[in-house]
Parts: sequence; C-alpha cells; structure tokens
Amino acid sequence: MSQEPVDVLIIGAGASGAAMAWSLAETRMRIVCLEQGGWMNPADYPTNRTSWESERFTGPFSLSPNGRGRREDYPVNDDASPIKISNYNAVGGSTILYAAHFPRFHPSDFRVKSLDGVADDWPIDYATLEPFYDLNAQMMGVAGLPGDPAYPPKQPPLPPVPLGKIGETLGRGFNKLGWHWWPSDSAIATQEHGGRAPCINLGPCITGCAQGAKGSTDVTYWPVAVREGVELRTHCRVREITVDDQGMASGAIYIDENGEEQFQPAEIVIMACNGVGTPRLLLNSRSDRFPDGLANSSGLVGRNLMFHPYAMVNGLFEEPLEGYKGPAGCLIISQEFYETDLARGFVRGYSAEMLRGIGPASTALWGMSSGRLPWGAEHHSAYDGLWDRTAGMVLICEDLPEPENRVTLDPDLVDADGIPAPRIEYALSENSLKMLDHAVARGSEVLRAAGAIDTWSEAPLPPAGWHLMGTARMGTDPETSVVDPVGRAHDVKNLFVVDGSVFVTSGGVNPTCTLQAISLYVADHIKKNLATLFD
Amino acid sequence: MSQDKLPQPLFSAVLDELIPARGDALAGAGALGLGEYVEAQFGEGAGALLPALAGLDDLSRERTGEAFAQAPSGQRGTLLTEIAGAFPGFLDGLLFHLYAGYYQHPQVMEALGLEARPPFPGGYPLAMGDLGLLDAVGTRGKYREV
Ligand SMILES: Cc1cc2nc3c(=O)[nH]c(=O)nc-3n(C[C@H](O)[C@H](O)[C@H](O)COP(=O)(O)OP(=O)(O)OC[C@H]3O[C@@H](n4cnc5c(N)ncnc54)[C@H](O)[C@@H]3O)c2cc1C
Ligand code: SF4
Repeated sequence: MSQEPVDVLIIGAGASGAAMAWSLAETRMRIVCLEQGGWMNPADYPTNRTSWESERFTGPFSLSPNGRGRREDYPVNDDASPIKISNYNAVGGSTILYAAHFPRFHPSDFRVKSLDGVADDWPIDYATLEPFYDLNAQMMGVAGLPGDPAYPPKQPPLPPVPLGKIGETLGRGFNKLGWHWWPSDSAIATQEHGGRAPCINLGPCITGCAQGAKGSTDVTYWPVAVREGVELRTHCRVREITVDDQGMASGAIYIDENGEEQFQPAEIVIMACNGVGTPRLLLNSRSDRFPDGLANSSGLVGRNLMFHPYAMVNGLFEEPLEGYKGPAGCLIISQEFYETDLARGFVRGYSAEMLRGIGPASTALWGMSSGRLPWGAEHHSAYDGLWDRTAGMVLICEDLPEPENRVTLDPDLVDADGIPAPRIEYALSENSLKMLDHAVARGSEVLRAAGAIDTWSEAPLPPAGWHLMGTARMGTDPETSVVDPVGRAHDVKNLFVVDGSVFVTSGGVNPTCTLQAISLYVADHIKKNLATLFD
Repeated sequence: MSQDKLPQPLFSAVLDELIPARGDALAGAGALGLGEYVEAQFGEGAGALLPALAGLDDLSRERTGEAFAQAPSGQRGTLLTEIAGAFPGFLDGLLFHLYAGYYQHPQVMEALGLEARPPFPGGYPLAMGDLGLLDAVGTRGKYREV
C-alpha cells in the first residue's frame, strides 16, 4: 500500500536520526521517520528491580541483538569478527543502552593523513562542527568541566558528574605519574535540564536510565521533534530504498507493525540506521540501475568498518571505593596517549575512560570467573576482600580504516520479516594489537599508582562492537567515498547518510556526539539550500 | 520450573556448603531459600543436575554411612569436590546462578551494608569530590594544533 508522499523520510530514530528530525522540524516540511523499534517504557528498565545485575547478561536489555530475542532486533552474523556487535533498536536507538560518555573528536582527528601520514583527512574539520557540537550539548544535556587542556575551549552546559571517592583515588594516581586526566563530558543531566530529572547515581546506565537523566534521544530530541510536527512511525522496518527513472531515491518499502508491506514516497531520504544498519539497507536496495546496492558505485558501501578495539584493565584496592554509586561509564577521561608518538611502535593513540565499580552480584560473578572467589569455608572472607574494592577503565583505541573490514549481506541469515541480515568480517591490525598492548601496560601502571594491589586485563574486549563507523565514508572523490562533505550520496542526489557510517577515521573517543554534530551540520546544509538542493 | 524437582534436603545442603552461613549474621545459601531461585534459573535444564546430586548422596553413604545432608559437616566439602571432579560442569552453572541470586537477596544486601531495594527510585547520594586535584593537571595532554 502506498502512503501520502512526504518531503523528508528519515530511517532510524537513534542518535543521528533524532538530531536530524529535530533540526528539520522548524522548516514545517512534512517529515516522517520510520523506526523498527518502539518507544521504551522506563518502568521496564532493570534498575526498577533487585535483579538488575543479572538482567545485564541475558534477556531484553543485554548487549547483543542476537541474544535479546526481541522482534524489533535484527540478527547479525559476527562469527568472523573477534569483536561482537552491541546495539539497540528502539526510539533512541543504541543510546538506550549507551554509557553516555560524550567526548568530542579533537581537531587533529580530522587531519590524520596530513599529520601522521595514515588513512585520510576528513573533508570537514573541527571548526566546521564546533557550533553543532555546542548545539548538541545543549539538546542532549552535557555535563562537564570547562578548562580541559586536551581540547579547544568549550563550555558544557551542566556541572560535571561527581568524582566521588573512586574518582579522587584515580585522579591522585594520574597526578602521581604526571598524566592528563579530566572529568568526562557526559550526556547526563546532573541538574534538571529540558524537563529531565537529575541523575541520582543509580549506577548501571547501560541497561537504560529509569530516572530519565541519561541523554538517550527518546528523552532529548524526540519529544521536541514530535511536538513540532515530525511523524515518528514505530515498529516499521524498512526493507529497501526505491529509485525512480532518473536515479533519484523515491521512497522506501517497509513492513509495518501489522506485518503489512507499505510504500512511503519521499522527496529526500535520510539514512540514520548506524554503521551496520545503513550499509545493510543500502546493500539490500538493489535495482537495475544500482545492481551492487544503492549509492555503491565506488564499491565502498560496507567497507572500512571501524570499531574501537577496547582493552579493559581493572584493579583491586584495599579500601572501599563507593564505586557502585554514580554513572558507571562516566567519571574521568585521560588523553595522555592520544596523539602519535612513533617511539611507542604504533601510529595514533587512545583514550582511557575510567569506570566506576560494580554491584554485589557482578562482584561475585567476576570473583568466580577470575578464580578469586572460592566456594566453601573461605567464601565470605574472600568476598569481603573484593566487594566495592574494584576500579578500572576501558581504553578506546583508534581503529584505522581498512577495506577488508566490512559489512556484507549474509547469504542465509534473515530477520523476522525475511530481510537479509548483515554479516561482519573484521580482523585487528598489527597497529591495533600494539596499541592494545601499550594501553594495557599504561592502564595497569596508573591503577598501581592509584593504590591497586592487583590488576588484570582483557584485550580486545569481545562485546565492544558498539561504535560502528566508516561503512559509507565521506569524501570529495566519488571513487574513494560514498557521500560528499555534506553527507549526500555521490550517486543519488536526494539521498543523505548522517550516522557513524560517514566517518573517515574513528578518532580514539566514543563517537556519538560527533555523529550527532554531523547530523545537525547536514541538516543545517539542507535547510540553508532547500531551493537549490538538487541542482 | 523444571519437571524434575530437585531433591530436598540434599540440594539445600549442597547450597549451604557452597555458600555457608556468615557467622550468626546470615544463614547459608540453602537455608536462605536460594534453592528455588537456582532451580528456576535452570528451568527445564535443572534435571541435568540430578545425576551429580544422586552420585553425591551415594558417595556420602559409602564414605560416612549417612546421606549428604546428614553427613558430618567437616566431610561435606571433600565429598562435593570429589563429585565436581566426576561430573565436569556440575558446579560451573550451579555457582553462576547461585552467586547471582545470593548477592541479589535482600538479607545478603543488608549484610553488606546496602539497603535491600532496587537502585531506582531511591538512587544514592554521591559527593562531588575534590576538584582541586585538577589544579595539578595544568597543560598536560595539551591538544595538538592543526
Ligand atoms: C552498550 C553501549 C554503550 C555505548 N556507550 C557509548 C558511550 O558511552 N558514548 C558514545 O558516544 N557512544 C556509546 N555507544 C554508541 C552509541 O550508542 C552509538 O554511537 C549511537 O547510538 C549511534 O547512533 P546512530 O544514529 O548511528 O545509530 P543508533 O543509535 O544505533 O540508531 C539506529 C536506529 O535505526 C533503526 N534501524 C536500523 N535499521 C532499520 C531499518 N531497516 N528500518 C527501520 N529502522 C531501522 C534501529 O532500530 C535504531 O533505532 C554505546 C553503545 C552501546 C550499545
Ligand atoms: S547513574 Fe544517573 S544517568 Fe545513570 S542510570 Fe542512574 S540516574 Fe540514570
């Protein structure tokens, strides 16, 4: 069945789709967003129950779409990757589960070819995105402390998340070594902001924030965008972007909440399905004119997939740290090893995102798996030495683009609507492996400096496929990129991509505020050039 | 819930051996009623524990003349270790569910000094901490000009 035509069709209601919808709403164009998931109910989040810790591992709030058993998810074949996909499919997208750690890219991240001779420079720079970073910080409600020497001046709108005892302990460790650290920019309302209640330090933000303090886009951009007239159609899964005789995108075929096939005609189509969902949909949109998938004349759709290889390093301390209180992934960032120093044996670098501690059940399970918590007579004394005495970090390594790392369509696997599912092929480069080794060694060093009596690590961290970038890269040359510097597909004048797929390089920081800034920047370009957009 | 209800008091005694009483403050895991939780987590798979449990009782009778639940407490750990060796995997799944359930139990949370409630809606107070520690950071990690 065919719907009334609209001016703008956005696919995906996650981080980038929400920012785009909100920004375009002021034009009063007819805007529809199709999202395969539904609205979340904060009363369903695990922190409403004492079983909140075990609910992290299995069930509807676990990290892997393959293990959740929700119809809204699509399966991903990630057998050929040491790093597995973590995401969420709902209004808010993966921000429902994200930790809300919100560092920006650095000016140097957009110039890695010029500075370090690797990968490519971006066709846009930090200065271009800066006003959109600021706008996004207001909308998402970013907490932070001005004055971080690792960045050009910026003014987070909200006060920083508390350091607490754990942050002070770690900060002293960094000071002992003379290394950089700063309270993390965090998309967490530390005060009431935009109608959102303030953070009450529940801890496990990555199973959803029952308080509504975490800046997931279902509580930031979407309520405003919907109020301003954007139509958000949930439980609608897009199967294919269609094209007309002129090779322009003409709309999308989707399966609605009743399982009926629908066609939504549109003047402009905007892809915001993330670095795996977007190439999947483009590759599923084959036609006579685009036999290898839509916008894929370069053959680069799906290629250059970047995660951030993660290392995790933890330490055991003698004193209780009150680490179970406060947003688990938002505390301190260190960028001491962010820039290239060839003496380290690798190019580019990494951030250290310090983590708070873990809850009582997670402490026991970790104690069991690490052999530190026996059963029997010694159980309680061993547990007392572990409980509330752990602190640690994840080290977020810059991943360089490599064409062999890619998203393709699985020949057999399909989602609940019979649509071919994505397959991931990914291998860690020598550069990444050396960087991970360095990160683990430095991570252990700072934990020891902070007073840890024991440290342990894991690298790469298998479930850390949560930053999805590079699979429809931005550039000026149609032969070496998929979209132009304003996110428009080189091959299809009215098709835009605004999620992490467009990243040219990955930086060594979490990507969400950058991909949202890009989405706002592309929206701004569309708004300013409406009359001549297709010339 | 599994169809093969796990035998009591044997299962409860096993759980008490795995996580014993904490002095007078807290009963062992079996006495706290964790058996029902653990069995529910195994669901249909709970029946897979039966051969090891039966073997444990047989071994106990052979060594002590008593069923495991009545065996002298000093010998139970040894019996359990021996059975764990004879039935690989028996303890792994059991301990996973037991530890998760035990450390989410209200009485255990209270014994750790926590309030027996979910994190929401009460939340936790948390002090900002000493931001003066940042005075020393100065220009460390100064960003690279381009
Ligand atoms: C556990 C976890 C922790 C994270 N922590 C952080 C962090 O601390 N900081 C940070 O910066 N980032 C973090 N991230 C990553 C962050 O969530 C993503 O970078 C961000 O959400 C990506 O935005 P997006 O718009 O590209 O895609 P998403 O937010 O993933 O949204 C894509 C949306 O598109 C929809 N969609 C896809 N295909 C279709 C289709 N065919 N039809 C209809 N709808 C479709 C999906 O359902 C989904 O809702 C984390 C992610 C996870 C999973
Ligand atoms: S710590 Fe704060 S942001 Fe995180 S879940 Fe709790 S209230 Fe929400």
